[in-house]
Amino acid sequence: MILRIARKEIRDLVRDGRFRWSAVIVTVLLTTSAALGWRSWRELRAEQARAQAEARNDFDEQGEKNPHAAAHYGLYVFKPKPPLSFVDPGVDPYTGVSVHLEAHRRNEVGNRPARDATALQRFGELTAASVLQLLLPLLIIFLAFPALAGEREQGTLRQVLSLGVRPGTLIWGKAVGLVVALSLIVAPVLALGVSVVVLGSAESARTWPHALAMLAGYVLYLGIFLAVALLVSMRSRTTRVALVVLLGFWILNAMIAPRLATDLARRTVPTPSSLQFTEAIRRDIKAGVDGHDPEDSRIERLKQETLKKYQAETVEDLPINFQGIALQAGEEYGNSVFDRHYGALWTAFGRQDTMRKALGFLFPTLAIRELSMALAGTDNQRSRDFAESAERYRRDLVLTLNRDLEQNGADLGFMYQAGPELWRGMPEFRYQPPALHASIQDQTMAWAALVLWLSVTVGLVCRSTRTLRVD
Amino acid sequence: MLLKRILRHEVRVLSADRTLLAVGLLLAAVVGYGVFNGVSWAAFQRLTLREAGREEAARYETLREQIGSPGEGRGQGQGVPADQVGLALGARYAAMPPGPLASLVIGQSDLYPYYALVTTANRQSALAGDELENPTHLLSGRFDLGFVVVVLYPLVILALTYNLLSGEKEQGTLVMVLSQPLDRRTLVLGKVLARGLVVMGLAAAISIGGYFLAGGPATREGISRLALWLTLVVSYGAFWFALALAVNALGKSSATNALALAGTWFLLVGVIPALASLFVRVAYPVPSRIELVQAVREASDRAKAEGPSLNARFLEAHPELTQGQAEANEFAIQSLAVQEASEAEVAEVLDRFESQLGHQQNLVDRFRFLSPAIAAFEALQDVAGTGAGRYTHFAAQVDAFHVRWRAFFRPRILASQPIRRDDLALIPEFAFQEEPLSKVSRRTLTGLAGLLLPTFLIGSLGMTAMRKYPIVG
Repeated sequence: MILRIARKEIRDLVRDGRFRWSAVIVTVLLTTSAALGWRSWRELRAEQARAQAEARNDFDEQGEKNPHAAAHYGLYVFKPKPPLSFVDPGVDPYTGVSVHLEAHRRNEVGNRPARDATALQRFGELTAASVLQLLLPLLIIFLAFPALAGEREQGTLRQVLSLGVRPGTLIWGKAVGLVVALSLIVAPVLALGVSVVVLGSAESARTWPHALAMLAGYVLYLGIFLAVALLVSMRSRTTRVALVVLLGFWILNAMIAPRLATDLARRTVPTPSSLQFTEAIRRDIKAGVDGHDPEDSRIERLKQETLKKYQAETVEDLPINFQGIALQAGEEYGNSVFDRHYGALWTAFGRQDTMRKALGFLFPTLAIRELSMALAGTDNQRSRDFAESAERYRRDLVLTLNRDLEQNGADLGFMYQAGPELWRGMPEFRYQPPALHASIQDQTMAWAALVLWLSVTVGLVCRSTRTLRVD
Repeated sequence: MLLKRILRHEVRVLSADRTLLAVGLLLAAVVGYGVFNGVSWAAFQRLTLREAGREEAARYETLREQIGSPGEGRGQGQGVPADQVGLALGARYAAMPPGPLASLVIGQSDLYPYYALVTTANRQSALAGDELENPTHLLSGRFDLGFVVVVLYPLVILALTYNLLSGEKEQGTLVMVLSQPLDRRTLVLGKVLARGLVVMGLAAAISIGGYFLAGGPATREGISRLALWLTLVVSYGAFWFALALAVNALGKSSATNALALAGTWFLLVGVIPALASLFVRVAYPVPSRIELVQAVREASDRAKAEGPSLNARFLEAHPELTQGQAEANEFAIQSLAVQEASEAEVAEVLDRFESQLGHQQNLVDRFRFLSPAIAAFEALQDVAGTGAGRYTHFAAQVDAFHVRWRAFFRPRILASQPIRRDDLALIPEFAFQEEPLSKVSRRTLTGLAGLLLPTFLIGSLGMTAMRKYPIVG
């Protein structure tokens, strides 16, 4: 019986001009956005690899110089674009793409691509993710709002029920029909996307499980909208009321919730201005964390300790280069200051993110947004992970150079020069993104929100079948 | 006369209906929240600029101590090397304070820098810094009055107008009303006017309230901008009323009207801007900054490798800098020559960025006519001074200031002439020149045309179709 109702529903939909038009529009938008996303991913990927190789080459070929001068010259590293960013570019346009690794300073990952775009981007970009998150739910609403309210309005609901069809059967039939109709629209594009993911990239072994998890997330999300649409359609007297309520739900989720969450999070967990942040770091390095241990006295103490350790009278008598030791000590002090300030900043950002995820229990669109970005590797967490990884590399780099100065430059001071073998000896910087289970674990709250929403709405649909009114 | 009676009747009906009260309260609440957010953002910016000023003042205090006064023992007025002052110790902030309407739209001001630390280092580094912000916040955008006006205000209008005539038809009252000697166009005009006065009056009143609550000045400049803002808000509202009227004139049921209007709203506010943005980027792709980073580095490496011949060329090209003094600072010449050579090389790459972005903006300016939402969005940002226009204006001033800065320091650096106490007062200072109102209003008026044109077109089409409106069936 369910199948018969589903078949009738599908036939109804396919004969409706609304359905055909929406199918064409959604297919075109989804294909275009994914294809362009794919193209720009490939371009950026190639460019990133090229620039990374060139930057490394510049570092290797800098000729003979003092290791500390080389540490000032430094190395640029570039953030790789994850493959699934073609589905969901996430925050990538709003985070930097490159960072200069050098001595003494922790630089921000800079050059946000969003600054090289017009204000139009702030309306929201057309991406596969935005089609899936915003347009498809709207399509579900447009197709499903008359499901029962329409039958009730026309009086056919009374007829159908009088034939002995149980309300539960009717609803499930309608649901199956809608699901099949929607799959007709989405399946071709999905097949295309899957083939791209599997065939198109060298890292498909890694991408594949992420794509699957992402798909599962979107199925849950779209299921929520279908259940809500059916629920509202069941309980509304007229199609007009059903439509207005559902549109309200969509607008609240798609348009209002993200911005509401932004301002709520900023207000609850304020972050310092860039000026305050850099000033605080500068002050702490210069005057000591508690303000009572200035840089000069730290160096003087280090000098006395080193002299005592080697039982030498003056710095010149030391068997090692004191500059190397002093520089490394300064570096380590700076690192502890960076750790403190960046730790606090990232904790604040993390709390803002958690707040947004928690709001996902109220607005499922917020939950899927976080989930989708995380699985695509384009969320805040990933950009933080990249920044930390680059910073770890910077510390290794500077440490290696300072050690060389300390051990090999004993009696030459700053006149000591090292050669290309030292530069070439540094291992390559390779960013290792976190594993799948970490990305999924990180989003426990978003998953929970989606599952909860789906089970509650489906539960309500089931309960409403018992009290279905014919008029 | 008749119109007035319809108006009065409609207002009475609307006020009896709780919908209007609910909608009005909701609108007031979201507008209030929007203004509140805008106000705190502008306050944050002002605070940061004050802190920057304090930081600069403290730095100058230290510098003054370091220089020492001519009479004191320490320093003996020897001064501090000019390159250190120009590069770091005496660096000055160039600030763009938030404009009078900044609290109304946050716009692009969360993305573009609003101050720059100008030094003798290269030009692009001054404006390269970003304000610290959670990237997801930049992606989602803020809940400000601009968002409320562009996105939510049309919904309020549509919620009140989607069943302008269809509602009365479905109730069966339309036949009774039109059995009176009354043109249906007069009736519909009265209905639109009544709702228009209420909604747009509310929007205008709240905007004015928001402006003064946010501490907007009662200067000519501020009031003129506010007047432009109100014109935009009213015209944008008029477009949505015209659209609702035209859809109503087709004579479909209330549910169909709601569906059609909601679809059009999403098309104009969501789909068309996103498509336009995509098209703009495909038509004039801006290269990745990755390329620029590498270009800058390689240019400066090449210049450094060139060494003495570069220095000689530099001195030849700038006889004014050494002023015939032979004992110019070798190291300073070297670094200035490298800087200049690499900047000349990078300028080409930078130009490509800027020209592509310029092309994009031109295209966007034309795309305004595709969707009133784009036109309103751009124009509101322009009036508030939080869009690309004012930022470009600021960036040009920073550039000019950077030139002045170098012109002051370079000769002193080359002549190894230190900065003395008397020189401190001569160091250039930045004063932001507000974009002339005439320029802003010219841009805004084009946007206004993008709002009024479709309004008249759709409105008159709707009024014409209204003549054939089926009263029954």
